[in-house]
Amino acid sequence: MIQHMLDGILVGAILSLGATGLTMVMHMLRFANFSHAELLSIGAYSALVFDAIFKSALPVFATQIGPLSMTLALGLAMILAMGITGASAVLFDRLVFRRVREKGDELSMVFASFGLALIIRNAIGLIFGLHTKLYSQDIVFATVLSRDPLLLVKPDQLATLGIALVIILALHLTLSRTNFGFALRAVAENPNLAQVNGINLQKMIVTVWVLGGGLAALAGVFYGLSNQITPTIGRDLVLPIFAATIVGGIGSIYGALLGGFIVGLAANLALLILPSGYSPSVPFLIILAVLLIRPNGLFGEART
Amino acid sequence: MKKLNNSKLALTLGTSIGLAMVAGSAMAQDCTTKIGAVLPTSVDWGRPIAETAQFAVDQVNAAGGVAGCEIEMVLRDTQVDPKVGVDAAKALVDLDGVQVLLGAVSSGVSMPILTSVSVPSNVMQMSCCSSSTAFTKLAEEGNTDGLFFRTFATTGVQAAVGAKVAADQGFSSVAILYKNDDWGQDLNNLIARDFEALGITVTASVAINDGQPSYRAEVTQALSGSPEALYLGLYPAEGTAAVREWLSLGGTQNMIMANSLKSDDFRENVGLQYLGSALGTDTASPRVASADAFVAAYIDRFDSEPNGPGLANSYDATMIALLAMEAAGKDATGDQIAASVASVTDPNGTPVTADTAGFAAARDVLAGGGTVMYQGATGNVRFDANGDVSAPAVVWKFTEGGTEEVQYLSLTEVDDFIASLN
Repeated sequence: MIQHMLDGILVGAILSLGATGLTMVMHMLRFANFSHAELLSIGAYSALVFDAIFKSALPVFATQIGPLSMTLALGLAMILAMGITGASAVLFDRLVFRRVREKGDELSMVFASFGLALIIRNAIGLIFGLHTKLYSQDIVFATVLSRDPLLLVKPDQLATLGIALVIILALHLTLSRTNFGFALRAVAENPNLAQVNGINLQKMIVTVWVLGGGLAALAGVFYGLSNQITPTIGRDLVLPIFAATIVGGIGSIYGALLGGFIVGLAANLALLILPSGYSPSVPFLIILAVLLIRPNGLFGEART
Repeated sequence: MKKLNNSKLALTLGTSIGLAMVAGSAMAQDCTTKIGAVLPTSVDWGRPIAETAQFAVDQVNAAGGVAGCEIEMVLRDTQVDPKVGVDAAKALVDLDGVQVLLGAVSSGVSMPILTSVSVPSNVMQMSCCSSSTAFTKLAEEGNTDGLFFRTFATTGVQAAVGAKVAADQGFSSVAILYKNDDWGQDLNNLIARDFEALGITVTASVAINDGQPSYRAEVTQALSGSPEALYLGLYPAEGTAAVREWLSLGGTQNMIMANSLKSDDFRENVGLQYLGSALGTDTASPRVASADAFVAAYIDRFDSEPNGPGLANSYDATMIALLAMEAAGKDATGDQIAASVASVTDPNGTPVTADTAGFAAARDVLAGGGTVMYQGATGNVRFDANGDVSAPAVVWKFTEGGTEEVQYLSLTEVDDFIASLN
């Protein structure tokens, strides 16, 4: 039970990061972006490339940090990957979403995002191959926290959780304490009114994409670190991430953060009562339950 | 068109020469018996299966046919579609009046043909390539009327050999991780039963779905019973993720793997250093003279090695069906032919080879009231009560360069072991 809760929190941290970016984009640009999860793949794969470059250029970076399988090279690669992913998110907006936004309606945007997701996924498969990749071939053994009940934790997962919590705190402080944060929230609330008050909407949209992409890249790297990297990361994670967003309420960053943990916990705890063959149904059930009971999510507000 | 005519001509010529060569020993053929073949000839790997069946028919005709009549194999395409397959089989039975159906390849096509054509029409069906244990279940429930046979080993062989490895290694408790699809569920049910028969405790059977965000919870569940070994009925992608998770959580390195994990990806990503005590299982082609003879004859006939799937199995299916028709006599019905299969695959019978001479020899033995042991392309074929065959197996392990055979289990050893489980 406790082990399952712990596992749920660790998975939840990854989902939270992915859902935060998604909820911001969904709220501000008012469409369900099914290509968001592909940004996780872009992040994971670009980190893989930079990691390999750093390791071969500066062997000193290839040593592992303490008990982690993460190296300094991967840490740096992760930061660069966040930048690359943010930039590609902006690029996709320029190339696809902005054009569709000007001509089509919300539904066109949704379809465009589906198409974009397919293109990104297959392009990654074409470049890197469909095989499983790993940041490190070594298996980092779990640390035993307690023998009875048996509690096992991998150092990597704790580090992931720690970093995710720090990022979440930073995000919270930015949103609640800075002018930039107020502007961001204002745009999310009402873009027209925000523009009247002198906020540059275009700049804000770019910022949201960069932020969303960066967080997605981080989630992608963490996912690759605790599992493995395949071109289908996006496809596999799109549903849990959407579930997290919907649970939290579209547009609510805090909701998305909490939603991620709720979905992660629910999926893990569900195994206590459901046979494991049914675990893929859990995100669907959560989405259904939330839409039936609280259509706007935990923190969402009704919108017209 | 021109080319087709030419090749047709060549074929006719070849056949006539072949016939002329054996004409001395052949009986007069003034009648024709039709048999039906429902095979997916419209897919690239289906065509050679049908050609191999025709090859066997040609050899038998060269020996003078069955019960004094020449055999004509009427071939119809299934398009790997159950509906098309059933229509084709129905037409063969109703219009051509065949008593024997060869096929189909996919279990999903063979099954509806069996239940809606073969059984109601009392026709014997012999499949070269269907592996599903659903047929075994159907036979056990008595719903095949003993009309169904196949020359392709079921998942049961893989499961039994996996259980044998566990027993040989002295493991007393095993956890199972299996892929959550038809194949994985089948394998899990079979091996769980085999473990039980050997007195090995199954501490947990956990289904693994593709593409999950984490396999942590599943692996934790499998770990909870502290098993001595882990059985893996998984594919490489989710297998890698699950096994890495398993090892990092302190799970045992005593692993038994299904043939699906015979993959370089899996070996590299899990790491050879952790796979030292991991043993895999697989079915193998028999290492007997009759199998080599088939390969030689095939190369002689088709100018290529029989490398496609199910070729040896297709050859044996056809040959055994024709031998059974010979044993059952002229104008025998499907159930009579099916009942005669045992007399041509009798382990105590006179050994006969899988070729023209072998068929002629079998005819003499059968005419004298004896039984024969058919030694075919897949070895000495022996059907169990459900019409299933088994296959030789190998136990393998990972090495630097790939995989290496640890142990070869001959057909007899596999059969005896499976028999000891029941």
